[in-house]
Amino acid sequence: MNLLQSFKMAWRSIKGKRGRSVLTVLSIFIGIAAVMTIVSVMEGMQEYTRQQYAAMGSNKIDVSVYSWTYDEDGNNISKDYFPILEEYCKSLGDMVVGVTPNSRANGTVVYGTVNSANIEYKYDEETWELLQAPPQMYYASPQYSLVNEYEITRGRDLTYLDVEKYNQVCVLGSMAVKTFFGNVDPLGRELQINGNKFQVIGIYKQKATASSQGYQANQMDNVIILPYSARRLLGGSVDNQFQIKVSKSEYIKDVISRVGPYMRNFIPENAGSVDAYSQSTWQEYETEQLSMIGLVLGGIAAISLIVGGIGIMNIMLVSVTERTKEIGIRRAIGARRSSIVSQFLIEAGMLCGMGGIVGIIVGTIGSLVLGKLMYKIVIWPSPIVTLGTFAFSVALGLLFGSYPASKASKLQPVEALRAE
Amino acid sequence: MLIETKDIYKIYDEGKESEVRALNGVSLNIDKGEFVAIIGQSGSGKSTLMNMLGCLDVPTRGTYLLRGTDVKKLSDNELSKIRNKEIGFIFQQYNLIQSLTVQENVELPLIYQGVDASKRAEMARQALEKMGILDKAASRPTQLSGGQQQRVAIARAIATRPEIIMADEPTGALDSRTGADILGFLRQFNDDGTTVILITHDNSIAASADRRVRISDGLITEDTGTVGPVSYSGEDDAGSMRKPASAAHAPAPETLAAAPQTAEPTIPASNDKEVSEG
Ligand SMILES: Nc1ncnc2c1ncn2[C@@H]1O[C@H](COP(=O)(O)OP(=O)(O)O)[C@@H](O)[C@H]1O
Ligand SMILES: [Mg+2]
Repeated sequence: MNLLQSFKMAWRSIKGKRGRSVLTVLSIFIGIAAVMTIVSVMEGMQEYTRQQYAAMGSNKIDVSVYSWTYDEDGNNISKDYFPILEEYCKSLGDMVVGVTPNSRANGTVVYGTVNSANIEYKYDEETWELLQAPPQMYYASPQYSLVNEYEITRGRDLTYLDVEKYNQVCVLGSMAVKTFFGNVDPLGRELQINGNKFQVIGIYKQKATASSQGYQANQMDNVIILPYSARRLLGGSVDNQFQIKVSKSEYIKDVISRVGPYMRNFIPENAGSVDAYSQSTWQEYETEQLSMIGLVLGGIAAISLIVGGIGIMNIMLVSVTERTKEIGIRRAIGARRSSIVSQFLIEAGMLCGMGGIVGIIVGTIGSLVLGKLMYKIVIWPSPIVTLGTFAFSVALGLLFGSYPASKASKLQPVEALRAE
Repeated sequence: MLIETKDIYKIYDEGKESEVRALNGVSLNIDKGEFVAIIGQSGSGKSTLMNMLGCLDVPTRGTYLLRGTDVKKLSDNELSKIRNKEIGFIFQQYNLIQSLTVQENVELPLIYQGVDASKRAEMARQALEKMGILDKAASRPTQLSGGQQQRVAIARAIATRPEIIMADEPTGALDSRTGADILGFLRQFNDDGTTVILITHDNSIAASADRRVRISDGLITEDTGTVGPVSYSGEDDAGSMRKPASAAHAPAPETLAAAPQTAEPTIPASNDKEVSEG
């Protein structure tokens, strides 16, 4: 007996017991839909996180160097660590792409009537996208854009000369441009930072894109980048935070293990600390956390699937009992045991496959709705998840259908025929 | 010998208080081409014997040789194959599958044989046509009368062109006229060379067979033996001799109530006819 024939026959008996078939499908589609939704929302979240970190730039190492050495008057007399670090990074050659301080500069920024002290946070009501916020000022080396993957769209980037000559210049991110200048061309104009004039020499291309929105990406467009030598003018202690970008992700661990111990040579024992770590470590951690949550939720959904599967088994057992006579007839006219097994297995597989299809439809809607409601992103279940879900539901039917099917096939022809 | 049983027993709940000896040592030989009626009262063990002969059941003790092969030694698949290809069953309650159409019911044994779709459909149509019920091919069994359902069941039994037909009270649920039609068909199949085993509790129905085996409490009490008709069996020229007779009443199955009379010259025992009339 060929497979097509078996499918036809199974379809026939599914149609013959329409009401029950619908109930069977219902009993598993909820579990399937739940698993589908959870898996694809988790996938969407991981992708979202990945993009967030991608916006911040990959292959980056954060280094923080703190020491607390004070003179008699209580002033911190820590060394300026950046030249040491920069020098060391040069010695690492091709492994390092760039290095920069990454310290926040504090101060009020004023242009015309716009004052950073009065700027409020504004979000898009629908997408929760950050529209406006007080700008973030950073002390930077000329390699800042290299490390953080900024691109100059207009004007020019910081140079070593700017650092050396203590030039009062700055480069702006696209959101900062909007905040202070609106539609006015900012190039050549001067911002007042703590009362000091800083000329805008360049503008970075917008980082946030349709596919990588979110707070992180928006904040990266809301920056004012100053040469680190501007610290002399604007005040504050020495740079403690640095970023190194390596050329390949394989170098991350290597560079971390070299830079940490090297910098430790320059801080007094018991009076300072050096920390070198990578954002990708955080990303891994966060992805891991998400997977854990997904696993737990998936486990709960799997239990509902098992319950559904037991329901299928129950229904198939009833079906076998009800159709004992039919099984007897089939055996009498020559059906082998294997034909009976495949008949019931295919029936169970088809029922669950149908439950799977309904579950996939509902699960897709669930992913879209949940993605929109919770994370403001569109989550289409991936083809792998969709196919996997379908295969899984059919497998569920085969698994839970196998006991009833084997029971049906073990009926003795005479005994089965005697049934009514 | 086509069928050969040696001292077979079927004992339910052996050794218990509820023990039933449905078959209590039956030895029976049936040759190819015979038309045998197995007669007995209700509960005498007729169905049990037929199930045994039809490989639907296995004896508790004793041997059953089908064409010389000990059935006990055959696997479940081999038994399925025998039921599928060599035996056509007809039951009192028709035993059609309600969820399938008439056509599909008749195709079912061919499906299990692996016959391809177009050939299968053609063979099923031929069988239905032979039973004069081709016009009902698309109907469901429940839409048919008892007589029509039994014709479908017979069509299913002959669709595979089996060597043996086993009918367990095939007319039991039918009125006498319809029943006579059915017996006419059995006679016709036998005329065409098929071995027919007919189970009945009714002497008048048994009269349409060439040989009658009486069974009582699981034991054979009487066997008219293979008088006369056995000489026809399997013999080609004898078969062709009988063919004109069957051809004569085949085209008009509705008139087959008269079949026993038409067939009279071929049945030596003339008192059979009187019994069937009674
Ligand atoms: N599965 C069974 N369990 C116990 N007793 C049975 C079973 N099948 C048949 N019998 C008994 O065996 C005897 C013969 O039954 P059966 O062959 O059906 O008789 P018949 O067909 O001649 O009416 C009866 O007494 C019946 O009750
Ligand atoms: Mg009986």
